Amino acid sequence: MKTTHKEVLFGLYDDESVLLHAVHKAKHDHLEIMDVFTPFPVHGMEEALHLSESRLHIAGFIYGAIGALTGFMAMTWIFTRDWPIIFGGKPYWSVPAFIPITFEMTVLFASVGMVVTFFTVSGMGFGVTNPTLDDRITDDKFCIAFDVSQSEEEEVERLKGFFRESGASEVSTKTI
Amino acid sequence: MNQFTLQSRQRTFLIGFMLLGLLCMVITYLTDDALHTRFWTNYLHNTVFFLGIGFISLFILAAFTTSWAGWYVGMKRVWESFSLFLIPGLVLMVPIILGLWGHFHHLYHWADKAEVAKDVILTGKSGFLNPVWYTFGTLILVGAWIFFALKIRQLSVLEDTQGKGVADDFSIHRWIRFWSAVFLPIAGFSSAALIWQWLMSVDSHWYSTMFAWYTGASWFVSAMALTILLLVYLKGQGYFVHITTNHFHDLGKFLFAFSVFWTYLWFSQFMLIWYANIGEETIYFHERMTNYPALFYGNLILNFVLPFLVLMRNDSKRKTGIMVTGAVITFLGHWLDFFLMVKPGARHTAMEALASHGGHGEGAASHALSVAAGFSYPGLLELGTMLGFLAFFLYFVMTRLEKASLLPYNDPYLQETTHHAVWPYAEHE
Repeated sequence: MKTTHKEVLFGLYDDESVLLHAVHKAKHDHLEIMDVFTPFPVHGMEEALHLSESRLHIAGFIYGAIGALTGFMAMTWIFTRDWPIIFGGKPYWSVPAFIPITFEMTVLFASVGMVVTFFTVSGMGFGVTNPTLDDRITDDKFCIAFDVSQSEEEEVERLKGFFRESGASEVSTKTI
Repeated sequence: MNQFTLQSRQRTFLIGFMLLGLLCMVITYLTDDALHTRFWTNYLHNTVFFLGIGFISLFILAAFTTSWAGWYVGMKRVWESFSLFLIPGLVLMVPIILGLWGHFHHLYHWADKAEVAKDVILTGKSGFLNPVWYTFGTLILVGAWIFFALKIRQLSVLEDTQGKGVADDFSIHRWIRFWSAVFLPIAGFSSAALIWQWLMSVDSHWYSTMFAWYTGASWFVSAMALTILLLVYLKGQGYFVHITTNHFHDLGKFLFAFSVFWTYLWFSQFMLIWYANIGEETIYFHERMTNYPALFYGNLILNFVLPFLVLMRNDSKRKTGIMVTGAVITFLGHWLDFFLMVKPGARHTAMEALASHGGHGEGAASHALSVAAGFSYPGLLELGTMLGFLAFFLYFVMTRLEKASLLPYNDPYLQETTHHAVWPYAEHE
């Protein structure tokens, strides 16, 4: 989320189940939610927001496969071409000895690759600072945000009405 | 339908396969060598395999109960029924025990007193590897498992009628938890001792500290695979309506995870022995890699590569067809794994015994072994024997399922199991 000078109307909820009901209600009323912010993953939120399945694990598989190949090929090269040494009477190309390191490289590539991908895709890449709607979102508040930059006055009133009805404890606006 | 009834059609079917198994065993016995090696190895292989599935099911129940899991409660009757197979399993072990005393089988090299006397290693091990330990170890330890299986089963069934309801009475559940917690450490140590005696001592000179866990992981995967297959079948018959895709998803996770765990143990055992390269340890793998290469490498493909790739994705664990495929592959794979544990060692023992009795002297075993059905690969007789044992196992399990409601009404976790949802999938999609 980059700074785009959006006018955001957001409501804060005290309870995750109230939030989940509110999201369902918003979808039912055809309100266009910009985003939902919670301090921890809320079960059922994916379906409520109709989010498609994450493709992060596909990326993870590819990174893992690359890691496995890198580890295995690197050791093959090192121990047969670059610096062949006989260890314990084993052949230069001793596959069982390469397995643990191949495994470690798989895990390393998959985990680091997924972290970097996830942060980049979520707009949390290196050097990016994000405006926060309210600091308490990272602690104990649950937030639904609407983009009202283009909205008419009556549309904004309708959204405020939605917040009142769905049990929001606070409603504010902020330009980010 | 929460009350299972075994229909006469199913009964006939299962009894038919039991008779087939019996027929195969008789044919094996009659067409065998002088020591009936093929018959006895098949018998030991299948008995230990299915007895172990019973044991590990009890272990699964105890572990889940102790960890306050709730999702499995809807299928706990299946595992209770599996665990009761310990009783016929112990009865099946009796001929092997009697054979040690009566010397009518040659499964264990250490059971031959003359051989032990002239062998320093076997003499050193004779404090543990002797008929007395084998007999009382099996009877007392499996007897203890049966005690826990019966205790947990009785309390669980009692809860159906005596438990006052989901909310207000947990006293019976607390007792189940108590017996489960007592069982777990006993199971951990005693299973290792029995695996050493039943399986590892087939290769009498050889030992591995990883072996017990490795075998236990094999049992675990087999039990999960059989649970999945049985539940898919019974669900197709209209039972277990409360078991949803979400439960199968979790069973699939266990199948996947423990396939990987098994591989980890298999490899840890292999690599350390390969690396240290001590003759008395490497002989185990040398024997299998030179004389049984198809089984040796096939074992890794069936039990690691295929389940790893087939079951990895979320979606595949939620599709019945893929889960059944994965379960069949791993079930057969681990049956073959046990095949490979038992056959080469026992074949060696038998060949040496036959050679010395026949007056050919030693050294017969040093030749490359010929490819033989029932040893190098499982022949049709092995397959028939396995189907017979499987039919017997399922028949026993299904008659136990008839004895109680399939849904434990008064289990405190009942609501959790009937509303089980695997994140991020919605409930009852």
